[in-house]
Amino acid sequence: MRRRRLFWQLYPATLLIALAALAVVALDTTSSLRRFYLDRTAEGLESRAHLVEDQIVPLLVAGKYAEIDSLCKELGRRSSTRLTVILPSGKVVGDSLEAPQEMDNHGQRPEVIDALDEGKGHSLRYSQTLHETLSYVAVPVRSQDKTLGVVRAAVSLAVIDSALWGVRKHILFASLLIAVVLAVASLVIARRIVGPLEQLSHNAEGLARGDLGRRLVAANSKEVGDLAETLNKMAADLEDKLATVVRQRNERDAILSGMVEGVLAIDAEERVLSMNSAAARLLGVDSARAEGRSLPEIIRNIDLHKLVAAVLSTHQPAESEVEIRDREPRFLHAYATVLRGAAGGRPGALLVIHDVTNVKRLESVRRDFVANVSHELKTPVTSIQGYVETLLDGAMNDAAQREKFLKIVAKHTERLHAILEDLLTLARVEQEGEKRDLLVREPLRPVLEAALGDCEAKVAEKRMRVALTCPAELMAALNASLLEQAVVNLLDNAVAYSAEGESIEVECIEGEREIEIRVRDHGCGIAREHLPRIFERFYRVDKSRSRESGGTGLGLAIVKHIVQLHGGRTAVESAPGQGSTFSIFLPK
Amino acid sequence: MSIHLQREIDNLKRDLMLICSIVEEQVQKAVRALFARDAELAHEVQAMDEDVDRREILLEEECLKTLALHQPVAINLRQLIAALKINNDLERIGDLAVNIARKAVDLASAVTVEIPADFLDMSEQTQAMLRKSLDALVQMDVALARDVCICDDEVDRLKKKIRGQIEGQIRDDPERTGSMLRLLSVSRNLERIADCAVNIAEDVIYMVDGRIVRHQTD
Repeated sequence: MRRRRLFWQLYPATLLIALAALAVVALDTTSSLRRFYLDRTAEGLESRAHLVEDQIVPLLVAGKYAEIDSLCKELGRRSSTRLTVILPSGKVVGDSLEAPQEMDNHGQRPEVIDALDEGKGHSLRYSQTLHETLSYVAVPVRSQDKTLGVVRAAVSLAVIDSALWGVRKHILFASLLIAVVLAVASLVIARRIVGPLEQLSHNAEGLARGDLGRRLVAANSKEVGDLAETLNKMAADLEDKLATVVRQRNERDAILSGMVEGVLAIDAEERVLSMNSAAARLLGVDSARAEGRSLPEIIRNIDLHKLVAAVLSTHQPAESEVEIRDREPRFLHAYATVLRGAAGGRPGALLVIHDVTNVKRLESVRRDFVANVSHELKTPVTSIQGYVETLLDGAMNDAAQREKFLKIVAKHTERLHAILEDLLTLARVEQEGEKRDLLVREPLRPVLEAALGDCEAKVAEKRMRVALTCPAELMAALNASLLEQAVVNLLDNAVAYSAEGESIEVECIEGEREIEIRVRDHGCGIAREHLPRIFERFYRVDKSRSRESGGTGLGLAIVKHIVQLHGGRTAVESAPGQGSTFSIFLPK
Repeated sequence: MSIHLQREIDNLKRDLMLICSIVEEQVQKAVRALFARDAELAHEVQAMDEDVDRREILLEEECLKTLALHQPVAINLRQLIAALKINNDLERIGDLAVNIARKAVDLASAVTVEIPADFLDMSEQTQAMLRKSLDALVQMDVALARDVCICDDEVDRLKKKIRGQIEGQIRDDPERTGSMLRLLSVSRNLERIADCAVNIAEDVIYMVDGRIVRHQTD
């Protein structure tokens, strides 16, 4: 519905009422004025007729009609009145304007009839004689109870009207003036009523748009002022409540974003209601883009979806392991419960997500370690056992066989020893890590030179060359014996996996925050899928070959442990056939 | 636009995304089964295909129902058409992943063959393309979709290279011809998955821009 403005409801109505009242008053005044004027005229005419009556009586008695006529003409001229003398028979004997002989019988004129019957007659009518409207008053002329005739006095209404017109003009003029004043006055009044309301509604619109700081001005009238105050109070309340809501939301967001666990709220349509930053990070999605979208849209993971679908359909809590196959695969443990009342209507689901990647990896590392260590130890022990039994069964009597078997036993014992040695080293490194004053600030070069010296025999055996590039002044916080062990392990590997005659480069590079010790060989290289796990204990790239080459499978694990004790990290770059580069990064 | 139509389209979108996640997982698992020689994982991929086929048919029926019932126009029509086509491509990708999984089962039981290094690159590229095209679908991102179309050349190049390497290995060691041929077929399947990803990307461009960009050489 189109609503009219209050001003246009108020202003024309008041103006119309005022003008109508004015018009009624003006019309009433003029009409009663006219009536009053006519009455006065009639009274004047009557008295004039009576005046004439006295003069006429003797003439009528005498029957001097000519004189009556001339008297009429004389008196009529002097009093600007039409005077007529009529006999009871209706015959006109004198008239101030016309010749009586030419006039018709006036016996049937209403005023004459009235005068004869009632002693006085008055009528307003059109004169056939003069062709204009006249006011007639007729009185009978009596003498000794005998009606001699009728004297009639008349005045033209045109004269009265012209006199009245002047008055009417005055009244009209005054009315117009009052009308104009009224129009202006009611305009002002309407504006004064509507103005504050408009202002109020304008300000209230501001409030509605959310500009809650805005306050309404109390208008001069009580009602509008009260309304403004009520609205102000409402705005203040609203502002308060909003501030509370915002504060609570900020608190909630702060709590949620401070959590390590991912929290994800989903409605019944599987749309994401909200998620905290941990959930966004764990699931690898952009939380700003996620809200309001459906879960399959933001993360394509069938396990997660199945979990959510199960909770949404059964309304029972459920949990499941979810694997996120991103650039860095993550294992998540998701626990889902029913979320009631968050979005109204049907319940949604609330997911709490833990990152169990590390737990999983540790689990698999430990399992692998136990399996590997028993396998690694078992292989030489089984061999030793077999050969010793063979010897005892009689082979020890054969000198040639005895020596061959004992040599094999010796080799496996050596290997067993090497593994135990490495395991002890590993244990020692782990223990060393608990010491406080482990690291000393020392030049790096002597450590590397010592490591090269340790490997000299093996290098010479394969006719290889090792090039060392290290600035003598380079210092680092290190534990000389442990770091030497780490570099020796890397060099051992480099030698073992290179062909004869190849070269090895050991370099030290000073970076901005780290010192890199780089050991590069030109050997067979390592396939990419092995690289992430190569520093794990007993992890072998090629299960058969490395054991023959004398490795225990613990070398790189020891390196990693030592470097971790130094607060550094290890890295490897390699491609099959293109050699490998192992790097140790020590913090400066 | 009616609220009903919007709701239908939202539901369709969600179902399509579900198929996307299953198919993406199928491809990932198939490739992982191949490299890890994990027959069990490969069987899992084959089992998942049933679910994909069922969902594909359901989605297609829903699409057709919505088309007939609401007679959508403009973007809504394009969304439905694109959903139909993408649905088709996804099912195809699922089948290709199953093919790879079958070969993985065969290879797992056969003698160890060295998988050429470029295979890892190629499978990663293909998976990245698939991921990108699905991301483009979710985000209605034309730029990302165009990116996918460009990546296809790299996959084709890798496929050619792998083919050369496999030919060389067959010449060197004819005894392993069977395994090598299986690997060749895997590379072909990967390349076809990449092609399907390109199709999806092109459908995304069509859905957003309303332009058909197939068979253009720019």
